[in-house]
Amino acid sequence: MTVEEIFAALEEMFGAKREMQDKWGVTAVVPATYLHNAVQYLKDEAGIKFEMLVDIAGVDYLTYPNHEGPRFAVSYAFKSLSAPGSRIRLKVLVSEDSLKVPTVSDLYANANWYEREVFDQFGIVFTGHPDLRRLLNHVEFVGHPLRKDYPAQKRQWLSTNDYLLPELEKRLEELGYKVVQRSKEVETNDNEFLEGSIKE
Amino acid sequence: MGNEAEKPNIITSSLDFLVNWGRSNSLWPFPYGTACCAIEFMSTEVGRYDLSRIGSEYVRFTPRQSDVLLVAGTITYKQAPILKRIYEQMAEPRWVIAMGACASSGGFYDCYCTVPGIDHIIPVDVYIGGCPPRPEAFFDAMFDLQKKVKDESFMKQRAESVKEQLEMIKAKTAEAKREAKASVHEKVTDVKVFMKEKEQNLVKKAQFWKE
Repeated sequence: MTVEEIFAALEEMFGAKREMQDKWGVTAVVPATYLHNAVQYLKDEAGIKFEMLVDIAGVDYLTYPNHEGPRFAVSYAFKSLSAPGSRIRLKVLVSEDSLKVPTVSDLYANANWYEREVFDQFGIVFTGHPDLRRLLNHVEFVGHPLRKDYPAQKRQWLSTNDYLLPELEKRLEELGYKVVQRSKEVETNDNEFLEGSIKE
Repeated sequence: MGNEAEKPNIITSSLDFLVNWGRSNSLWPFPYGTACCAIEFMSTEVGRYDLSRIGSEYVRFTPRQSDVLLVAGTITYKQAPILKRIYEQMAEPRWVIAMGACASSGGFYDCYCTVPGIDHIIPVDVYIGGCPPRPEAFFDAMFDLQKKVKDESFMKQRAESVKEQLEMIKAKTAEAKREAKASVHEKVTDVKVFMKEKEQNLVKKAQFWKE
């Protein structure tokens, strides 16, 4: 099975159109509703299995020349390990009105942090994500800096340290450890945990 | 303190010389390395260049034991409170070196995430240019810092701190006196009110029995 046949199968099963603007011709545009199924198909059922998720990237088409259609897009890059060299990219168009894309973090573990990054930089919400928080920017950051309408000279100061211990404790408990005692500094209320920061 | 005591004499100046000699030749750095400048610092520290020659013998990895905070690399807004806290944890006397373009001015990171120079957060004594600076530039900065340390007056600082402490003690005692006076006044007024009430009660009782 070649990559061409996979594209044909994607179009037949999920209505994914191949994007002709792409220089290497490896991109297919999938409707958001079929995204999860398409990714599962690529991972488990296709003739060439794409075991590796290389990247998830957000795109903002606000100032893109000659662009028609929704403002945002999320692009998924896959790579095959069983048939080295074959790559494929899925793209989901996201309109500004409903910034929602289904998560694929249940299929690929590394998608967890990729999706957090896209949420951080573009504000696109991944429904079904287990822990959708900011990844790169700090907790007091307002706005999404990689959007084209974010002012380039805007600076935002952080007043406290980022608070990472609740997350750490959760992961320790998943590994089978048990928290017996906490120091006073660690104890927080739920609001602080949700914000991810400790206020002095 | 009289004016005579504030002037430098042979004892204070020689003590200054001694203290500054000791301080300037044992500047222990704390490396806050976040980028390629830290690699240059490593090559400054070891074999070929050997920072121990000028007395910076140990690299201390706790701020409580070090004299020089060496900020080598890009500082983001997420890191800024951490850097400030580390500076606050250092014991005085303390000095700061901003190594490289990023720590001095933000460098070419003119964006939403990078602090444009660490002097927005903490005071800086010596800046080093370069991206990253060579070990020779780092040595030059250390010599500059040594000159600066040798120029300081230990006795003057000491006298100023003693003065500050005296003033603080005076202010505190005055405040305590004022508080004590106020509380005494309150108590006296309370007692007066109490006595008046008693008198009135007695008068009422007397009137009652008369009737």
